[in-house]
Amino acid sequence: MARKVGIVGAGVTPFRGQWIEKTYYELAQMAAMTAMQDAGLEPSDVDAAFYGIYNDIFERTCIPEHPLQGIIGLQDKFGIRISNGGATGAYTMSAAHAYVAAERFNTVLVLGVEKATDCFDFQSMSATPEVIKTIGWSGDSFFEQKIGWSASDSYAEVVLAYMDEHPGDLKPEVTAQISSLLSQQVRTNPYAQRQFDQVTPEEVMNSRLVVYPFKELEICVYTEGAAALIFAEEETAKAISRNTGQPVVWITGVGEANEHSFAGKNQKVMSRIMSDYLGAHRAYEMAGIEDPIKAIDIVELHDAFVHQLEISMAEFGFVPLGQADALVEEGIMTPGGRLLVNPCGGLIYCGHAVGASNIMSAWSARSELIKRKLRAALVHGTGSTVAQYAACLILEHE
Amino acid sequence: MVEKKVIPSEYIPDVSRKTVTIAGKDYLVVNDAMFTFYRRSMGELSQFFLALRDEKKVLGCKCTKCGILRVPPFMTRCPDCNFALTELVEVEQVGVMNSTPPITYFATSMFQHMAPFGRGRVILRGADTALSIIVYTTTGILVPGLVTKGTEVKIVFRDNRVGEIIDIFCVPTSELAKEQIARKGLQESEIDWTAAVEPGLPVADENDVATYKDALNAMQDIVVQMNETERARKDTAGWKRSIQVKTTGGQFAIEIDDGNIRIEEKVLEAPDFVMVCKDPKVLLEGLAYKGSLTDAVIMKRLWISENMEFTTIFKLDRTARSLARASKI
Repeated sequence: MARKVGIVGAGVTPFRGQWIEKTYYELAQMAAMTAMQDAGLEPSDVDAAFYGIYNDIFERTCIPEHPLQGIIGLQDKFGIRISNGGATGAYTMSAAHAYVAAERFNTVLVLGVEKATDCFDFQSMSATPEVIKTIGWSGDSFFEQKIGWSASDSYAEVVLAYMDEHPGDLKPEVTAQISSLLSQQVRTNPYAQRQFDQVTPEEVMNSRLVVYPFKELEICVYTEGAAALIFAEEETAKAISRNTGQPVVWITGVGEANEHSFAGKNQKVMSRIMSDYLGAHRAYEMAGIEDPIKAIDIVELHDAFVHQLEISMAEFGFVPLGQADALVEEGIMTPGGRLLVNPCGGLIYCGHAVGASNIMSAWSARSELIKRKLRAALVHGTGSTVAQYAACLILEHE
Repeated sequence: MVEKKVIPSEYIPDVSRKTVTIAGKDYLVVNDAMFTFYRRSMGELSQFFLALRDEKKVLGCKCTKCGILRVPPFMTRCPDCNFALTELVEVEQVGVMNSTPPITYFATSMFQHMAPFGRGRVILRGADTALSIIVYTTTGILVPGLVTKGTEVKIVFRDNRVGEIIDIFCVPTSELAKEQIARKGLQESEIDWTAAVEPGLPVADENDVATYKDALNAMQDIVVQMNETERARKDTAGWKRSIQVKTTGGQFAIEIDDGNIRIEEKVLEAPDFVMVCKDPKVLLEGLAYKGSLTDAVIMKRLWISENMEFTTIFKLDRTARSLARASKI
């Protein structure tokens, strides 16, 4: 029988478009220190480190985690780096959970960090084209990189295939409303990159297409920052909780899936995000959740694109496939609705510091569960070409 | 023949460093690169790439047990049949799009010269899986709706092939002659790329002419301001283009010359490209930063005769934004 695992501490750095003042060493140390202090712990109390860092090129070094082991005070202890595309943070939490549940460690640090905009395109004298080129090295190197594969166009493939099957769904007015809603929710997140960037649905509708069908204000932004969590097994977690006065938020379900990266028969079904479906339903099964719409109160999902947010919500079982616009049209995620979706502003407004993003989402879910006295949250990460990877966690507050 | 470099020299920045001061503290910012060169074998994929280059053939791999035919042939054994061997077979060069392809307008630093471009997946006749491929149209800019799920397309080979996936792309068969569709190994030079069909304009009435005159005057005022604004001039620095613009109420020329833009009523003898927009206000709104010219092209309100000239459209959009921002300050 696996042991119960809980979150007993959390911390994030401010998420910013660029941190000229800090390297990833400093960002990682800030987040690790904040999470340990939140749990009332010192480095000597922590048994192991799980690093979520997506892209070596962003950090400008291979095995970018190696200097961090000493910087966070965990020298001579276990340290492992997880890199799973956009889902890096969620997969890092999944790995840390497994080690604690399996009695390898009692107390561990989950630490996500990413730089991005050190990458710079000297032709356009701007960072973004070089940042997306750097991500472009993640595409298939034999058949796709050289014909312009990008993260955006690969997710757009999935979205357009979904729209081929469900032509009445993902209406531009609805995606614009969701983006606008997220921009309102981010106001209360002082760590967000775009805390005061509120936009109207009209502004979203009028923003220019970047990759059809995605508009500029429907896409996550590139971010630099770090996020950290402390996981502990049941007895340790309860002791830490008594010490800090903060309730334990338990991780009751974890589920993951990586799909095929090529499309066609026996391969990826382009109109689905099966990774999200399988990841979420495996997590529900572990948590004993039969009806997610009744059981879940908060969703902190990886909104790389608003359209994908809608499809992911359908794959999670909150709305039927083909009727994802009900999220807004039936008020499911609008203020006062059944679900609170991305109260942190999501990756579109809080920011997408890749390895840290899903960990930031868990930081937000934990804090919202405690603050609002709600019961359960779903935390999600998606990544790789055509939304191939997903990892989901169920957090519960007793 | 000019020797090509693995990294084109224009991508390589100079050695340089600067000091940035934030809140009274100095930070050192350094131009830098991570670079690794490869001499990489295509291994078991070599036959596929050599067949593209040398024989203008597309190969797939067929499972000797279940018969599934995968294109591209990215595995030598079938994982669905407990790793039964596959064999290379040739597939046809016509197929259908597996789903609607996305169109990239804002590309990575390596593909900006190609934008806008579509990248989709084609299931070639006889194949069971989809091949990732660039989608082009012979009719100008690839706009949403032109190629969708199920659109029949033809593989076209580059004239100069190098043994990489860039040796092929596809175009809708509806834009090709029967004989071209049937021909194996159809090359890009065998297609009429200049056949972009210029849209016709309705016969102008008095209102159209009046609208045209008003818009023309307003645009001329805007470009005078652009020419006087340093920030806006930078956006077209080093750029030279002559554009014939046709609208319902009349036609005029936009001439861009190294930071200077001129708009006047005349017919150019040999314009670099042609713009057609029924309503000149579309262009006016773009230049006035009340709408985007990029989106006007995408949404078919503005037609341009050369795909490559999207770069000029981006520059005009940027100039409009620079003028608007400079005016706010």
